[in-house]
Amino acid sequence: MKTISLYVDKGTILNKIAPESKIWYVIAAISIPALMGIRWAGIGMIAVSAVLLLYGKVLRRTLPFLGVSGFVLLTVLIIQGMFWWGNETPLFALGPAVFYVEGLRYALGILINIINILMSFCVLILTTKPSDMMENFVRRGFSPRFGYVFISVFQIIPQMTDTMSTITDAQRSRGMETEGSLAVRIKAFIPLIVPVIMSSLINTKERALALEVRGFNSRKKKTFLNEEVKTAADRYIQIALPVLILAAAIWRITQWLA
Amino acid sequence: MAIIELKDLHFSYTAEEEVINGMNFIIDDRSTAIIGQNGAGKTTFAKLLKGLLKPTKGEILLNGRSTKDMTVAMLAKKVGMVFQNPNDQIFKYQVLDEVMFGPLQIGMDKAAARRNAEEALESVALSGLETTNPYDLGLSVRKLVAVASILAMDTEIILFDEPTIAQDYAGKERLKEIVRKLRSQGKTVITITHDMNFVADVFERTIVFASGKKIADDDTKSVFLKKDILERAYLEQPDVMKISTELGWQESFLTIDEFVGAIKR
Repeated sequence: MKTISLYVDKGTILNKIAPESKIWYVIAAISIPALMGIRWAGIGMIAVSAVLLLYGKVLRRTLPFLGVSGFVLLTVLIIQGMFWWGNETPLFALGPAVFYVEGLRYALGILINIINILMSFCVLILTTKPSDMMENFVRRGFSPRFGYVFISVFQIIPQMTDTMSTITDAQRSRGMETEGSLAVRIKAFIPLIVPVIMSSLINTKERALALEVRGFNSRKKKTFLNEEVKTAADRYIQIALPVLILAAAIWRITQWLA
Repeated sequence: MAIIELKDLHFSYTAEEEVINGMNFIIDDRSTAIIGQNGAGKTTFAKLLKGLLKPTKGEILLNGRSTKDMTVAMLAKKVGMVFQNPNDQIFKYQVLDEVMFGPLQIGMDKAAARRNAEEALESVALSGLETTNPYDLGLSVRKLVAVASILAMDTEIILFDEPTIAQDYAGKERLKEIVRKLRSQGKTVITITHDMNFVADVFERTIVFASGKKIADDDTKSVFLKKDILERAYLEQPDVMKISTELGWQESFLTIDEFVGAIKR
């Protein structure tokens, strides 16, 4: 059975931790290396995320995300390695293409940042029930619309993958080639992308109507389906992580002043 | 006439669960309905027949040739499949262009593709809408555009996946006419559906799937008389048959015409 959400309940402690704690983790994972400006801090956060994902039994589910971004990362490596403005020291050459130490080092920094952001978001998305996340936002005073948009972004990825697969099947059934040379793929682009866009627009309209008829825009105070659960671990996390972010900021300021 | 033979057909998406679990049967010249609850393996079977999936074990022989040895593009010339949701395929800005897309893909020349497309549109009563944007049409009419786009490919086998969903009375009657016409042309017609009345009205043979296995295969009336089989597959009898059963009649009827004829007698 296909699931429309990226979340899978594996019964681990990560599934039980409040969404807010995991949101704090994402903020910390991204901001601490950025504030410290040290590449090793980013690598460290990637390692922490990997351990958390492994512990949450969802490390394998992270691979497709890394795979999808792999193409972008490779492009970054090639472009920066060859053309970064500060390139001076050649490292190796592949035929006429020369790759420089400075450019590759710069690209490595970008790579670490992207992987860190992706993996920390995976900790949040793959271990948090979307409805819990939405309720958490609304409880903290955000508009239900914000909560809905936030979870829709993560639901739309598997949904569009599913739609894309059905559309590909439908067009292949009519004799269209979708795999092969670049020319074949370019030719297949319009027959594949138009139904995806049209289906998305139709679905969005229907979903908006379905929400509207169920009182989504009602101004009355909403009742939450689930009780808010905050464990002792949540309390520690929600104190420790902001403290760590603050410490990173102070450390950076002291470095500037020194 | 095409012959489709399933030989010990197995398929699974994951290692844990088989979706098609050792099926053996032959689809002959009779119009055939495949029924069963959601998850019984009906759509997977359709995808296997279309070559969109490859069997994990066993094979499907199409006129004696294994579909394993044929590409999806090769099979597109032989097997046409109308998908459940027309929005999954429509991308052209004019109905005629959409209907001509399939024939052109399988190598038909432009004149023949246009002729077939016009005939197909006529058979689904959409003549006159050739230059209309399909997305300006309602879902039921759009579905008929999808049907026409497959009819225009003039394949030996036509497979309908839930054709009656979103169809009103007129649309269903039109689909019944299309099935009868295709049969009279000697084509192999298969449907996957949850609409028992549609099956009772036009399909000569019915195969029941449950948990990836074939649990019944007979002429349609005989299958609908097997209440235990229907219960196992979470299906129900067609309305007319339910009425005659409720009335306690000895004789069972499949269609309204049969039922009315009996009352008149």
